[in-house]
Amino acid sequence: MNKQQFIRRRRPVWKAFEKRVDHLRGISLKRMTAKEISEFSRLMRELANDLATIRSRDWGQSLVDYLNGLLARGHNAFYSAPPGRLNQVTQFLAAGFPRLLRANVGYFLVAAALFFLPGAIAWTVIQNDPSLATRILPPQAMEQFDQMYGPTDKTDPDSDGDDTEETSTSEWSDDEDDDSNQFGEERAAMAGFYVQHNVGIALQCFARGVLLGIGTIYTLLYNGIVIGAVGGYVLSLGHTEKFVSFIISHGSFELTAIAIAGGAGLMLGDALLHPGNRTRGEALLERSSQAVQIAAGAAVMLMIAALIEAFWSPAPIPAIYKYVVGTLLWLVVYAYLFLAGRNHAA
Amino acid sequence: MASAAVSPSVSSGSLDLVIETPENVLLTWQLAGPAWRLAAYAVDFAIRASFLVAGCIAMTVVALVLPGTAIGSLLLLMFLLEWGYTIGFEYFWQGQTPGKRLCGLRVIQDNGQPLSWWSATLRNLLRAGDTIPFLLIYGEHAGLLILIPCYGPALIAMLLAPRLQRLGDLAARTVVVHEKRPELPRPPMILDKIDAIPRDELGSRLPRPATLALIDEFLARREVLSYERGHALAGPFAEALARSLGYRGDPQLVEQYPMAFLARVHVTFARQRDADGDDDSPARRRPRKAGAAAS
Repeated sequence: MNKQQFIRRRRPVWKAFEKRVDHLRGISLKRMTAKEISEFSRLMRELANDLATIRSRDWGQSLVDYLNGLLARGHNAFYSAPPGRLNQVTQFLAAGFPRLLRANVGYFLVAAALFFLPGAIAWTVIQNDPSLATRILPPQAMEQFDQMYGPTDKTDPDSDGDDTEETSTSEWSDDEDDDSNQFGEERAAMAGFYVQHNVGIALQCFARGVLLGIGTIYTLLYNGIVIGAVGGYVLSLGHTEKFVSFIISHGSFELTAIAIAGGAGLMLGDALLHPGNRTRGEALLERSSQAVQIAAGAAVMLMIAALIEAFWSPAPIPAIYKYVVGTLLWLVVYAYLFLAGRNHAA
Repeated sequence: MASAAVSPSVSSGSLDLVIETPENVLLTWQLAGPAWRLAAYAVDFAIRASFLVAGCIAMTVVALVLPGTAIGSLLLLMFLLEWGYTIGFEYFWQGQTPGKRLCGLRVIQDNGQPLSWWSATLRNLLRAGDTIPFLLIYGEHAGLLILIPCYGPALIAMLLAPRLQRLGDLAARTVVVHEKRPELPRPPMILDKIDAIPRDELGSRLPRPATLALIDEFLARREVLSYERGHALAGPFAEALARSLGYRGDPQLVEQYPMAFLARVHVTFARQRDADGDDDSPARRRPRKAGAAAS
């Protein structure tokens, strides 16, 4: 059989396959019946056979390109990644993430040191000499802190139930209980801000580890120093109870998660700097598959932190409740990170 | 089989990805370079920007009633567009974002498998490492700040990596490939009046299948070239072919009309091989009429 005969004879099959690929691109594989799938698979094997025949008989690059392209599209459409299950997500959060973190705890500790030590130093130095704060914090930010933690109370009673507040505000507008309305709205705005800002910072902190770890180290040091400076400055103003009761609850999730994301970033940097007996590429491949999971866990923690920070931390309730809950949350976070998923350790 | 063994080594020199599929056939993908990927990125950027603008418009309405919720939702939308857009699309659309689909690109694992969840996450999170430095553009109103990513590390990595991968691709074991829609090549245009070369004007050697395929493809795309240019290109080939076949016929044909000579060779040997019928049933051995190759 010569080339033209072969093309004539096989053309209908190729065209049929082309139609199926176009069809499959629009829909999910799951919506195909078993019969359609086996038919598709059979056609694919036939095309693979044709491609091999054409290659072996040297029947020209354009024909090879055509069949190769067609088969490649079929391949891409047909072999899809296994679908995710909710079960896997819960399994990951319940056991996979803390287990991976413990397996790479050294990186977490280094990142925590890079984050908390400069923070503590900045904190103590600035608390003792608040004038130094101007060297770190921009003046607008300092004014803002003066306002935020200043003597004028912007919030009044009306405590819990953020949901009810939101619905109430939508029902009646800003004539009566204006304060609670504003407060609830402010929380909603801050929740969005904390997710966008904090989770973004943590993910960047992780991602920039791929630049030999320099980006991660910079982000950790910078944020540690700024957060420490803010703490020291606000405390030097004498708003200790207000500030500490504010940060203690979400700090457990937030500060820890930033150190975790930083640790994941350091894993990437370390893989590139100290690949051991592998090539740098292989070391990066091996380390990054774990690092990305750790970073994803940190992102989830930061989203929890954002909710706490927006809705619980500024709640106008006696500080003692916040101290108790905050302390409990610190215990919960570290118990989770260091104990969860132990029994299934494989 | 020889060609199957040769083609991957040839391809590895060019910018192709060669993979053996579960069907035991070698598939090649053309790797996508920075230009096409930038185009896809620009499309995605425009889509994301329009989502954000739409969100702003919707939220200005909501803000009349719920100012805080509006700001919060807008910030959440920004977060999702920045981090979730590419991860979500690439995972659920099997390695394509709207921009990549428009540009005919797809992300796959470098072993030809579909993009997995963690690979999609990793390559898109590491985008934050790939994109720096940023170009800062301040808008008219203070505070309106546009960050244009420059993809510095990504470009360097793509120049150095063997498969045009940026850092995120290297870490996630992914490549971006072109997903072409090639057309079935047209049969060569050979006039009916062209006859086979008589046996006594030829030596005993047969042209190789690859040579015939080359003639086939050249003649199929004959109309791309002007008449003179076609003859000029075909000239050296026709001469070499005439020599190797031991052609003893009219030398004018080879010198003056090399394309016609190629066509005659094609008619001669395509039909001859057909009659020889290397692996066919006897039913296929019936002789065909002269112009059949043109159909």
